[in-house]
Amino acid sequence: MDNFGELLHGFSIAITVPHLVLMVVGVLLGILVGVLPGLGAPNGVSLLLPLTFGMQPVSAIILLSSMYWGALFGGSVTSILFNIPGEPSSVATTFDGYPMARDGRPTTALATAFGSAAFGALVGVILITFLASWVAQVALAFGPAEYFAVYFLAFASFVGMGGAAPSKTLVALAIGFAIAAIGIDTVSGSVRLTMGVDELVKGVNFVVAVMGLFGIGELLVAVEEEFHARAVSTKIEWREVFRAIGRLPRHSVALLRSAAIGCWMGITPGGPTAASFMSYGIARRFSRRGKYFGAGEVEGIISPETADHAAGTSALLPMLSLGIPGSATAAVMMGGLMIWGLNPGPMLFVDQKDFVWGLIASMYVGNIVAVALVLLTVPVFAALMRIPFVIIAPLIVIICVVGAYSVSNSYLDVVMMLGFGIVGYLFKKLFYPLAPLVLAIVIGDKAEDAFRQSMLMSKGSLGIFFANKLVTCLIVAGITLLLLPLVLQLPRLWRKPASAATGTTAQEKAQETAQETAREKVII
Amino acid sequence: MISRRALELATAILTGSFGVAVVVSSLDNGIGWSSAGVDAGTFPFLTGIIIVLGSLYNLVRGVLPATALANVPIAITPIELRRLAGLFVPAAIFVAAIPLAGMYVASSLYVFAVLAIPKYQSVPRALAMAAATALALYAVFERMFQVSLPHGALAAALGF
Repeated sequence: MDNFGELLHGFSIAITVPHLVLMVVGVLLGILVGVLPGLGAPNGVSLLLPLTFGMQPVSAIILLSSMYWGALFGGSVTSILFNIPGEPSSVATTFDGYPMARDGRPTTALATAFGSAAFGALVGVILITFLASWVAQVALAFGPAEYFAVYFLAFASFVGMGGAAPSKTLVALAIGFAIAAIGIDTVSGSVRLTMGVDELVKGVNFVVAVMGLFGIGELLVAVEEEFHARAVSTKIEWREVFRAIGRLPRHSVALLRSAAIGCWMGITPGGPTAASFMSYGIARRFSRRGKYFGAGEVEGIISPETADHAAGTSALLPMLSLGIPGSATAAVMMGGLMIWGLNPGPMLFVDQKDFVWGLIASMYVGNIVAVALVLLTVPVFAALMRIPFVIIAPLIVIICVVGAYSVSNSYLDVVMMLGFGIVGYLFKKLFYPLAPLVLAIVIGDKAEDAFRQSMLMSKGSLGIFFANKLVTCLIVAGITLLLLPLVLQLPRLWRKPASAATGTTAQEKAQETAQETAREKVII
Repeated sequence: MISRRALELATAILTGSFGVAVVVSSLDNGIGWSSAGVDAGTFPFLTGIIIVLGSLYNLVRGVLPATALANVPIAITPIELRRLAGLFVPAAIFVAAIPLAGMYVASSLYVFAVLAIPKYQSVPRALAMAAATALALYAVFERMFQVSLPHGALAAALGF
């Protein structure tokens, strides 16, 4: 196997003392941002980004990706111990994780969550190991039209499968594209959309947007609810850790199903949040103990956690092999790649073998490091949650301000960051998804270039998007996904009078509405 | 108290006017097809149109009492609004003060103000935290990563 040899070479890069140290630092910082409300993986990674400019790209990506793993784990800690999801993607973990911890089994809940999370991540990494280079090889033959079709498919899948209202997803996406277009146009050299502000010629950096949208926005949402971090016991009993992990194979069906859902949602950019909810919902429907879900059921923890991490990990597959990030954090990392002078996409697998395989190998090692560290540090980070929010909030504001400023030493960026904060708050409050907005800011220019290049090739005819089988399939799949919400709406309209007559029981209905609102609340 | 409907309306108008601005501004760059290929304004023009149409749809949906909106009629209660203002107003003042006072002075004043004025912390403790913030920023950025944060007009006048 070619891949296997490359992977071994990757391990020789990943397992060196400096890189292991970077992993530990990254994971710890990741858990920190995962635990703190208002700071999440996208923010954490963009905060670290300016600090990586002097590093080797492979060291930089190891630091950033380890931070991502840490954040994914950190989010679960607060979900289980405090019923406060540290990350949007770990909301579904609160449904069963917190009840189990409250009933006196916090160690079991944490160990189950981390064990299944590690399994999900492992499946994601294995998928990347075997699939990424193959996808990249196929993509090497892509022309601009195929690229545009893939971008189109990625954005269409947000609209069709993201879970938020399609019209809101569409608006968020289009705003992202418009923001990406601000500044000098790379093709014609003309200045666009600056609306009279000269400083905007340099464009709007995605880090500024991320700091505002995710940082300030999330902080504003968090401050609304006065929250009490009332923790259940945070002592870890080591024997129970191994016992709980030893019990995981009994739930292999749930594990495999959730991993598959996660990988699918990660590759088609549905993102970890949607993946964990979908996985939880499906598990509840198909589990024999489905009616006990919500009261501390093991599979209720396994399903969202496995899917969350599988999606988080496999989101890097399209980023590496196609240059399309599968989640907001992957989008930020991809922005980093471009700043380091790498061109995300299939050429990475040809030109930057050390980088790609070093990263893939580091994902195996990094996740092991993350599981070990998160178990060891649960009490420390749980104690952190007891610091009052009024102290943490101004510190996060300062971090976001300094972070936005340090991108290009511009005061305008700080002001824009604050503006993005208001937008982020409004969008979160009204369930506009933020991930597509960030994705569009990062890859908007590339999508536009692909479109214009294909138009140049075809001399202005849209026929180029139906010129061969591959491109036609991609475009048709994209259009199908775009229309999916409309199609799904039809039977609901038709069924409405009927359901009133037969009627589900009131209790069932109430439960479903509660879940729906909880779901709507967090589809970001 | 702000209702969900009002918030939906305000947001749709906000996104819609951004869309209109994009459309108008992209017309300057030319839209359509020219000898050099697709004109620079075309793509932004199309996204602007999508934003405007999408916002109009959201606007209409926000006004109509849809079932999805019915279970959360109130978006922000007065208490929540006060908490929001309590976080955002000082933050905005902090950002506004940066050009004059510089990042270090502004951030330590900000930390001191939000902790000491609502009496979350005693004055000495708030002072200590404010000083620690400025010192940490200086150590991390100016020293470790060699990023110069703005020192402000005040510092410039004093000759720093």
